[in-house]
Amino acid sequence: MKRKKYFHLYIVIITILLLILSIGIFLLQYYLYSVQEMREETSYNNYYVLIANNNTSSFWKSIYEGALEAGEENGTWVELFGENLPKKYTRNELMKMAIYSNVDGIIVEADESQELTELIDEATELGIPVVTIYSDNTKSERCSFVGIGSYNMGREYGKQVVKIIKEKKLENNEESTIMQPTKVAVLLNAYAKDSGQNILYSAIQEIIDMEENMSVDLSFITVDDTNAFSVEETIRDIFMTSELPDIVICLNEVNTNCIYQAVIDFNKVGEVAILGYYDSEAIVKAIERNVIYATLSVDANQLGKYSVEALDEFHVLGNTSQYFTTDIQIIDKDNVKDHVRGEEYE
Amino acid sequence: MSRITTKNLSLQVKITFIYILANILIFIVNIILFFGINEMTNKMNMVYTENLKLNHLAESLTDVQNNMNEYLNTKTSDSLENYYRSEQYYTILIEDLTVNVSNRSFDRMERNIKYMSEEYLDIVNQAIEAKRGRNVEKYRVYNENATILYEYIQTNIYSLNNEQFISNTENYIEISNSFRLLETVSLFVLFIVILGNVLMIILLVGTLIRPLKELSKKADEVANGNFDIEPLEIIAEDEIGVVTKAFNQMIISIREYIEQLRLSMEKERNLKEKELLMETHLKDAQLKYLQAQIDPHFLFNTLNAGVQLAMMEGADKTSEYVRHLAEFFRYNIKKRPDVVTLKEELELIDNYIYILNVRFSGEIHFIKEIDSSLIDIKIPSMILQPIMENCIQHGIRSMKGNGEIVLSVFKENDNVCISIKDNGIGMDESVISNILKGDYVGEKEHSNGVGMDNVIKRIQLFTESNEAIAITSEGEGKGTTVNIFLHI
Repeated sequence: MKRKKYFHLYIVIITILLLILSIGIFLLQYYLYSVQEMREETSYNNYYVLIANNNTSSFWKSIYEGALEAGEENGTWVELFGENLPKKYTRNELMKMAIYSNVDGIIVEADESQELTELIDEATELGIPVVTIYSDNTKSERCSFVGIGSYNMGREYGKQVVKIIKEKKLENNEESTIMQPTKVAVLLNAYAKDSGQNILYSAIQEIIDMEENMSVDLSFITVDDTNAFSVEETIRDIFMTSELPDIVICLNEVNTNCIYQAVIDFNKVGEVAILGYYDSEAIVKAIERNVIYATLSVDANQLGKYSVEALDEFHVLGNTSQYFTTDIQIIDKDNVKDHVRGEEYE
Repeated sequence: MSRITTKNLSLQVKITFIYILANILIFIVNIILFFGINEMTNKMNMVYTENLKLNHLAESLTDVQNNMNEYLNTKTSDSLENYYRSEQYYTILIEDLTVNVSNRSFDRMERNIKYMSEEYLDIVNQAIEAKRGRNVEKYRVYNENATILYEYIQTNIYSLNNEQFISNTENYIEISNSFRLLETVSLFVLFIVILGNVLMIILLVGTLIRPLKELSKKADEVANGNFDIEPLEIIAEDEIGVVTKAFNQMIISIREYIEQLRLSMEKERNLKEKELLMETHLKDAQLKYLQAQIDPHFLFNTLNAGVQLAMMEGADKTSEYVRHLAEFFRYNIKKRPDVVTLKEELELIDNYIYILNVRFSGEIHFIKEIDSSLIDIKIPSMILQPIMENCIQHGIRSMKGNGEIVLSVFKENDNVCISIKDNGIGMDESVISNILKGDYVGEKEHSNGVGMDNVIKRIQLFTESNEAIAITSEGEGKGTTVNIFLHI
């Protein structure tokens, strides 16, 4: 009887052993199989594209991240359009591509060009809502504009200009009696004919006018941004001329970086005060080193987020708020430490 | 349940079962491995099919574009036909593209290509229609748009193709590595399974064969003459079980037979021995008496003449004495059977005592206490007289004063007890046990011929019991008692 039991035991044990082995192989195969499928995909309901002129700068990357994050919450995928393509397409070409691709929404860095207006209108007609971001195309049928309030921006810049002039006066107090107007140059992008820049200009002027005894020569320098490397060339040209502005106001990240580099290269640190735009790592470092006087920190993440929200709202309600503005903050020597630390935390 | 079934299976079925089980296991493992490897191979083959598909798509798109241009240039019906064919084909191709939006850029690009292609085909169609309608302005615009779109799509396909190629190459390396791993693991598993199988077969066959081995061992023992073995345990009801059972039965039968034979032989031997002994002892007794006889007829006749002479002379006492003497000798001379009645033996004793009392002038007091109902029982002949003689010769003659012998016959339980008691010198334990064993060597010259050992042997043989005769003495001078127990 005992042996009989053993007999059964042998069969059971060995069968189990072999079964375990077989299952093991099966699981191994399954594991190998799943390793390949690791890059699992999630499906999304909506497909928005973000089209920017210069999508490699950290400002636009930050915007994109904000947009992507906001989109994923609601089952929307936001793509930085044209990023994958081997060829560098212009914004308008990408607009066309997006329209033909029948996307669910377009977020575009606009300007006031006629061509873009037409494209936006075409998209809207085909039922694709368009949100302009950072800069507007006011004549078009875009459903919303997400940007920085130009007026607020102008006022902040104006305040900084006044501050710089006052500091300068204190430095060479007596000479200041012989009043020479302070030359302030605002770097504008060519073809950026949007009204925002006018508002910005008048806002700066308004702040300066409020101060007594202050003569300021406010001018625009147009930067050619039509070609890939023309911005840098144009900015260098400024330094070649004898008439250097005392204060340079930049309205985008690339310009800020170029001016900053040019000031160093031409050994004009201290002579030219730079008011930058955006708080990228490089710019914050430059403030620490006293090369850039101050910069305007824009919550780029928020820009992206608002634009996606605007599109979502349009899809649900059929219309949305015409303007979204984000918070701005001045970063200068006094609070740059917090910012560096803050960035480190991020 | 399975126990009952496997128990009753035949050896052939069991061995076949083990073989099939082993094979099935290897087969299953092989099948699993085979499927795994097959799947891997398929995956490997699948890796670049996507690229092929995209290339195909791009070529087909170029066909459409070329055919459109051809038609717009030449307006031949051939080119129109070609256009329609390629357009049809391209439509089918883009059907397969996904419209799914996912976090994978492939999917989104595919989706964009699909939508752009649809748009493109639409524009191309319009261009063709415009051409057919000779609307020169329109078809130029459509053509321009179509060409732009064509270029976009090609760029997208190219980009997708490229990205997929990179990803697939990574996949390919990954799959290829997995494949190697799977190969090694499979080999290892197969090895383990075969090892397990061999182990299982060894164990199972060992279990099957073990009873057979034990059977052969026992058979060997039996062959060497040892029948005294434990019966084998029957493990299964297969052929071995049947043989084992038969073997066990055989051993039991052989053992029984041997025992029977031994018993019957012993019985026969005992019987013969007894017969032989009886005969020997009787012959011995008779021989002794014959030796002691000095022409008994002459003696008897002489004694009778003496009786008559004494009567004529008026000597009554002498006459009586000689008569008793004659009687005593007559009993001894008579040709007797082995067994006589107690009465006959008692008469002989009476004569003997009378003679002795005359001889020794009434020294012996003889007292009889006899249950008269028992006098007809059978006893071996010539028993009591030798005992009596011993009592007188050894017990009474050597003592001073009057000797006394008490002979009593009574019933005790199922036995008849004949007790002969004297008040002589008695004897010690060692002498008693020597007498009973027949080893006693004493002075035989006084004996009338029949020794105690002969008497004892015959009583034992007659009763088939060693306890049939008992001699007791309470010590020196306290007399001796001889008891004979006979079955009724």
